[in-house]
Amino acid sequence: MRALLLKLEPIIWFMFGQGILIGTMLLTGWILVVGLLIPMGFVDASALSYERAHGLATSWLFGILPIGQLFLAALLVLPLWKGAHHIRSLLIDFGGGERDGVVGGLLYGVALVGSVMAILAVVGL
Amino acid sequence: MAGPAHPKAMAPPKPGRTRVAPPQMPSSWWSARRIRTYLLFDATGIIYLLIAFLGIRLINALGKGPEAWDAVMESLRNPLYIAFHMLCLVSVVFVGVRFFRLFPKAQPPTIGPVKPPPAAVIHAMLYVAWIGTTALVTAILAGVIF
Repeated sequence: MRALLLKLEPIIWFMFGQGILIGTMLLTGWILVVGLLIPMGFVDASALSYERAHGLATSWLFGILPIGQLFLAALLVLPLWKGAHHIRSLLIDFGGGERDGVVGGLLYGVALVGSVMAILAVVGL
Repeated sequence: MAGPAHPKAMAPPKPGRTRVAPPQMPSSWWSARRIRTYLLFDATGIIYLLIAFLGIRLINALGKGPEAWDAVMESLRNPLYIAFHMLCLVSVVFVGVRFFRLFPKAQPPTIGPVKPPPAAVIHAMLYVAWIGTTALVTAILAGVIF
């Protein structure tokens, strides 16, 4: 498993890097509105009524780019890889590297399954 | 005429433990400030993983129809979810500030024939992109524009 992780390292690092960079940029506004401003009543819930939320999620840019679905796919997929890679690093710090192959494989497996679930959810809109 | 000394001429009479102690990690290694910050940066991975799976749950509900969407949005009013989202906001801001500070230092000396811009310029560009994206996403989701 360790050998496989080493082989896949460029892809893992790419997804991890984008998870920090793009994931952080997209998550900040999402958490602010969806997680805090609407639930706390600072923004009217009608801003994300079903019709408007669905309309935004399935909107197209210039009729060629499914911008809503691309936004959601990036928002959901990229943080999974940032999360998996950093938890792996944390577990190496506390538990040593002996089981890194299995632990890393499991964590990236979770990120992969989550990515497939996210893409299916976004495509199914 | 002096000859070469016997290789073990200076060896102790009985073989014992080496006099150079093997490196030992202190048990309080994690308590140093810079290490704690580094570990906190790693620990935000748990938050990122959880917020992504919560997002997947939301989009699944959106795909199922108005009842499922209204129910999931209603569930976010739970104080536990609000506390979790506050923790998420603190985490993403912490990750952004720390990562964008490190980002210029991680640039190669040249990218092809081109030198990357000075660190201050890269830093400023990242902040402009972050603040701009956050303002745009917030305004769209909150119904201020579109």
